Amino acid sequence: MLELIDVSKKFKQNAAVKSMNMFIEKGEIVGLLGPNGAGKSTAISILSSLVEPTSGDVKYQQKSIIKNPVALRKIIGIVPQEIALYEDLTAEENMKFFGRIYRLKGEKLNMKVQEVLEQIGLSDRRKDMVKTFSGGMKRRLNIGVAMLHDPEILVMDEPTVGIDPQSRHYILQTVKRLNQERQMTVLYTSHYMEEVEFLCDRIYIMDKGSLIASGTKDEIKRILASENTISVKADYWNDAFIEKLKANPVIHQMNVEEKEITFVVSREVNIFTKLAKLAEETNVSLNAVDVKNVTLEDVFLHLTGRALRD
Amino acid sequence: MRGIILARFTSFIRNPWLFALFTGMSIIFALIIGNFGAGNEKVTVPVYGDEALQTDTIGTALAENEVYNFKWMKKEELEETIRRGNAEAGVSIEEDGYEMIVGIESPNVQLIEQTVAAIYTDKIQAANLLAVSDAQTEAEKEELLAAFQHAKEEPVFEITNQSFHSSETFLFDNGLHSLFGFTLFFVIYTICYNVLPILIEKKAGVWDRMILSPMKKWEMYIANLIYSFFEGYLQVVIIFTVFRFIVGMDFQGKFPAILLIMIPYVFAIVSLAIFLTALVKNTQQFNAALPIVSVSMAMIGGAFWPIEIVQSEFLLALSKINPLTYGMEALNGLVIYNTPLDQLLMPISILLLMGVIFMGVGIHLMERRHV
Repeated sequence: MLELIDVSKKFKQNAAVKSMNMFIEKGEIVGLLGPNGAGKSTAISILSSLVEPTSGDVKYQQKSIIKNPVALRKIIGIVPQEIALYEDLTAEENMKFFGRIYRLKGEKLNMKVQEVLEQIGLSDRRKDMVKTFSGGMKRRLNIGVAMLHDPEILVMDEPTVGIDPQSRHYILQTVKRLNQERQMTVLYTSHYMEEVEFLCDRIYIMDKGSLIASGTKDEIKRILASENTISVKADYWNDAFIEKLKANPVIHQMNVEEKEITFVVSREVNIFTKLAKLAEETNVSLNAVDVKNVTLEDVFLHLTGRALRD
Repeated sequence: MRGIILARFTSFIRNPWLFALFTGMSIIFALIIGNFGAGNEKVTVPVYGDEALQTDTIGTALAENEVYNFKWMKKEELEETIRRGNAEAGVSIEEDGYEMIVGIESPNVQLIEQTVAAIYTDKIQAANLLAVSDAQTEAEKEELLAAFQHAKEEPVFEITNQSFHSSETFLFDNGLHSLFGFTLFFVIYTICYNVLPILIEKKAGVWDRMILSPMKKWEMYIANLIYSFFEGYLQVVIIFTVFRFIVGMDFQGKFPAILLIMIPYVFAIVSLAIFLTALVKNTQQFNAALPIVSVSMAMIGGAFWPIEIVQSEFLLALSKINPLTYGMEALNGLVIYNTPLDQLLMPISILLLMGVIFMGVGIHLMERRHV
């Protein structure tokens, strides 16, 4: 349906996107995952025809949209990372403004505004000015105005940044519902693993302008199939325990917190006896040792050597 | 396009305080600095002479003078006043002549002397007229002098000589100058803060949404610029209307022409605001740059003081690329120098040209930098 073919984008000397290939099929939710500055926003700007790539092509229904983006623009809705609304207007006035720019008018516009306000749960606040809204309500309205013209593809650029867990849950449920009930195609970018895991059928992981992995959730997690993530808990650590653990060649990606240490080891290594022996030698009293399920965060850490939120 | 203008207008109605602030400041500054309401305060000129002269023709004429307040005092007192710099000059009055006592050489000294000289000329003319006339009785003499006075006030023909540009002299009206200066100065802020939302909306992604809609990009620019022009022009109209109908300035009957001549100025400032917005990267930079640009423009454009007193060739050269210079020139030409509108085509054309250039370059920069 929509694809990026070997797309690169340079801003002066800075390569924001490097030789990126990506496709989205109708009716699926695709996640684009990566830390801040990975190039996600540039990639989706290219995909939605807002930014022209330095090289490569963008095709919608097998036709390049770089020189003629009209067909794509008719069926795409965009939810920017920032709150792209007029703060001095009410929720309803914002809706009507963005509806009018899509040539909706009269009764049709009123009905559509009413319908979307109900979908995003803001119909009882329709007459209130946006500047009086909470962060979560603004985010919901930000999504709502992108849905007014019934887009086939909804591009969402980190739509849950800086909001409370309840609003985030509401937004995620709304996106899921739109996809299931209307078969709306969604491209969802985020640096929150759990959101992408919850929503997306397929995932692309970006770092430093390049795609470093892609596939379904299971396919991506299988990247770490030969390794286990171990969690060790204790009331306190001492330097000797940490230093000896770090010095062990089979342990990598070690992360030390106040009462928990996590690290990755090969599945072939029996780490439990080694840990018990080390704890005894260094006088550390272990509370628990767990083998954790592989998460996308672990995969990202494995692929890039740093956490997503770094 | 209508949608954008409507949205901007609704925002303005809900939040008109910035507009009100700049409009109010223009009016208040012009009233205070322009010394409105203080009446026609006369310049005091110390005068010394015999007591008999105070009630004579000369004394009466001096007392009736509309421009200067001739204040009689003792000779020592007069000299002390001038020595202390409390008066630029004084006059020693005698029966058949006068003597100027000058403290500071200034254009005022010449005007004082012209005033006193004119009074003596009138007196001598009247005396000569009476001497050569057949008037015998007091009534006949008074009738003759009345006829002479009438002839002076309403002559058969009058010769006037006006000059728009002069390297030597210039006309200055503090009230008008303050009004023009502060109006042109503060409207820069109103307009710039109306163009700034383009930058904010671009950063926030509102423009991305509009670009993806069937709306054309030129419609987005035009709608924003029309609205910015409207608000800037509204401010100018309100200020001049207040001074015309509340303060009571008659602008030499040029009120409609003033409003007309402000159109190219406001257009040029809207374009300058686009250019400035294209140069900065964010609101913080804009807020830092705006006062620097606007105050510099006001200083070298003659908004705060007459540009005619600026001596530096460099500053004068800079003023040539400053829309405010041409705005002041057009307003001063129209109201103070009484220049016909068609003879102000030069500053008007320059303002229009600047408008086109600033807007073209500004929009080009914005698009190229993806601001």
